[in-house]
Amino acid sequence: MATTEASNIKKIQVQRYKPEEYPEKHFMNQEKGIWAWMTTVDHKKIGLMFLCSALFFFFVGGVLALLLRTELLTPARSFMDSNVYNQVFTLHGAIMIFFFLIPAVPSALGNFVLPLQLGAKDVAFPRLNLASFYIYVTGAVIVLYAIFTGGIDTGWTFYTPYSATTSTNVLLITFGLFILGFSSILTGLNFIVTIHKLRAPGITWNRLPLNLWALYATSIIQVLATPVLAITLLLLTMERALGIGIFDPNLGGDPVLFQHFFWFYSHPAVYIMIVPGFGIISEVISTFSKKIIFGYWAIALSSLAIALIGFLVWGHHMFVSGQSSLANMVFSFLTFLVGIPTGIKIFNWIATMYRGSIDLKTPMLYAMAFLFLFTIGGFTGIMIGTLSVNIHLHDTYYIVAHFHYVMMGGMAIAFLAGLHYWWPKIFGKMYSEFWGRISCALIFIGFNMTFLPQFVMGSQGMPRRYHNYIDQFQPFHQLSTVGAYTMGVAFLIMAAYLLYSLLKGPKAPANPWGSRAMEWQASSPPTLHNFEHTPVIINGPYDYHKPMSEFQLGIAGSHNGHHDHAKGSVNVPETVTEKE
Amino acid sequence: MSGHHISSAKFLWIIATSLFFLTFVTVAVTWINIPEPWNVVMAIAIACVKATLVLAFFMNLYWDSRFNTMLFIASIMFFFILIGITLLDTLFRVDPVPSF
Amino acid sequence: MSDTTTAEERKVQHVQHHFVDGEQQFETAKLGMWVFLVTEILFFGGLFAAYIVYRSWYPELYTMASTELDTFWGTVNTIVLIGSSLTVAMAIRSAQLNQIKGLIYNLYITIGLACTFMVIKYFEYAHKFEIGILPGRHYTYEGIAHEKANIFFSIYYMMTGLHGIHVIIGIGLMIWLVVKAKRNIFHSEYYTPVEITGLYWHLVDIIWIFLFPLLYLID
Repeated sequence: MATTEASNIKKIQVQRYKPEEYPEKHFMNQEKGIWAWMTTVDHKKIGLMFLCSALFFFFVGGVLALLLRTELLTPARSFMDSNVYNQVFTLHGAIMIFFFLIPAVPSALGNFVLPLQLGAKDVAFPRLNLASFYIYVTGAVIVLYAIFTGGIDTGWTFYTPYSATTSTNVLLITFGLFILGFSSILTGLNFIVTIHKLRAPGITWNRLPLNLWALYATSIIQVLATPVLAITLLLLTMERALGIGIFDPNLGGDPVLFQHFFWFYSHPAVYIMIVPGFGIISEVISTFSKKIIFGYWAIALSSLAIALIGFLVWGHHMFVSGQSSLANMVFSFLTFLVGIPTGIKIFNWIATMYRGSIDLKTPMLYAMAFLFLFTIGGFTGIMIGTLSVNIHLHDTYYIVAHFHYVMMGGMAIAFLAGLHYWWPKIFGKMYSEFWGRISCALIFIGFNMTFLPQFVMGSQGMPRRYHNYIDQFQPFHQLSTVGAYTMGVAFLIMAAYLLYSLLKGPKAPANPWGSRAMEWQASSPPTLHNFEHTPVIINGPYDYHKPMSEFQLGIAGSHNGHHDHAKGSVNVPETVTEKE
Repeated sequence: MSGHHISSAKFLWIIATSLFFLTFVTVAVTWINIPEPWNVVMAIAIACVKATLVLAFFMNLYWDSRFNTMLFIASIMFFFILIGITLLDTLFRVDPVPSF
Repeated sequence: MSDTTTAEERKVQHVQHHFVDGEQQFETAKLGMWVFLVTEILFFGGLFAAYIVYRSWYPELYTMASTELDTFWGTVNTIVLIGSSLTVAMAIRSAQLNQIKGLIYNLYITIGLACTFMVIKYFEYAHKFEIGILPGRHYTYEGIAHEKANIFFSIYYMMTGLHGIHVIIGIGLMIWLVVKAKRNIFHSEYYTPVEITGLYWHLVDIIWIFLFPLLYLID
């Protein structure tokens, strides 16, 4: 202890706080009744409500997908007219993107895990968190109402001038999505502020779990991009309501301008969808390799790099829309750049697994499936980012296959990895490993069966969004449909064993996977305030070579001790006195 | 709360007066005939000065954590990205070949 | 890290359970408001982008159409809004110095100035509606010799309309602050809602500072 000059190191006494195993009282039963749930400001309950909503919409979107694939079994009309088909694929896209993919990891899993991983008692603005959920619900209700009272057939991208003139319910749906966007913005805002202000003592920026780096990068994108979507949807609504003409060539407007505004959000939106997935994969791979993550700073900074570069590339969706050649070339070049940080991550994860003590539990299987599927998706993305190639592949099934590989093979698989990883923490129950693996295998096989043929079809010229096609594509479509049904069966199996786990599954210990991360040092399920002490961190988040006891340290006290690095006044030193 | 900067009333009035003065300048400048595009540059420049005064001394960024200033600057940077690259398209369109 | 705020201090500063002390809560609230202001800048940014794109295509239209906007009243509105920024800064100052009466008076003046802004806006819009300058397909004014004149005014209505909505929201927030101030909730150790509402109001002012020359002063 320095006594001469003003030392800014303070020694504090810490104790070990082992998490309570199989707690009687936890966050789900500490506040009783439906009113308690509806007015809760507890991030865990809010995360759970988001999770249920997201899974519901995933189911709805999935059913729509199966309808599409069933129609496409034969070239001619099977049971849907072309305008019904248009509505179904529009809804499939809009629901999957806005109601499942965007909120699933940040608002559902992220809300649950983020404060726990920071050692905080809640997010920075708990009431805003609840507002975010109700805004989501309001947006969802408006959109569902719009679907049932007229539907929408513009494609999820709402391109003008068709979206400004079609008689379907564009106005109501864009208004519903406008409302929904605020949910995303508020969640992002909450996360950024929480990560800056509510870290437990000892969690410096170089000890922040990579899941939180990913959520931080995602939140930055949410906060910067979603407002532009909001104004775009507002302009489209005004275009329909008042005929303002900004996007109407007859009135001097420019339909391509709509595309600029739309994709300025929607391209970063795909990073909102995938970057949290990257965070989950970092956690899962490190835990199930029992090894320190390879290239911590590379992965952390590459998340930020993807967030930044993702804002520069939106025009690669518009290569054939009538942009200037200059813009085309600039966008194509910038698109190549965004592959670099992503590639860095993949290599780092593989290097983490190398010589690790691999435990092939269900979350790890999903993570490994992710590595394979996302790499394919990423590669094909670079291919269609190539300007000359894109001219031929735009609006074909190649694009459809590409984005399903990254969105479903990447994001949904990562979400499933996270769901299976944190299931014991959230619900305090274990699920059947056997059925988990079966389901994972079926999803992997079914997914590739569905989408691999689509790459081939697309490169041979099969256009997307078409409800009939020429005979040469039929074998591909049929294989694709069989794959889709295989996935459907796999998801039914998953629903069954997860439901069984909730009702009759064995109780989960606090740390079934032996992870070093902070959320596993709370009980399963956690108590209402997460921790009854203030956790103190002295190691990095993936230091598997350190004993578990060093991750369970804390000081007594009922509120979070904040780490105020800006004033640089207090640092928790390496040597702490530990009391059993 | 200790440590929060409290501006004197006189200081706030000085800032406000500067803003009123700059508003007058903005209008007066339009009475002089400045060639395009410099008249727009002038107007935006004066607006930027006014905005900076509001940001620094009414919103207290001058005495606040640097991070909040960086947040604001970041938002302006992203706005420039939006408008800059969009203009790369809209300003450089060439009419298609007539015979097509 | 030892925690030195007492339970009494936590109560007086309305500290929520997940914060250490009032200071952390205050700084967190401010950071949260700045992040929100970032989203507002991007929100209006889209409209500014539309403005810039169309001005680059139809510069003569902008010059002609701008003559329909009354520079005098636009200048008055600018002065009014800057004045309201001054008074809201004074309101925060009063709160910091525990002068609650001063806080309430300054809030009242700010609300008054904001309402003045809206009244002037109302007259501007009413005059335009009378002569047929309406948004979009309802535009019927013949006085501008440019076939695309409605585009300028569509942008004008979107930008000033959205800005006006933000002013109204600000008025609502400040009325709420007055109600709370009268109930003696604010004092020099707790005035966070006043501070963050002030930040919001200043941004509304900044947006107008840019709207004014871009719409009214195109010569």
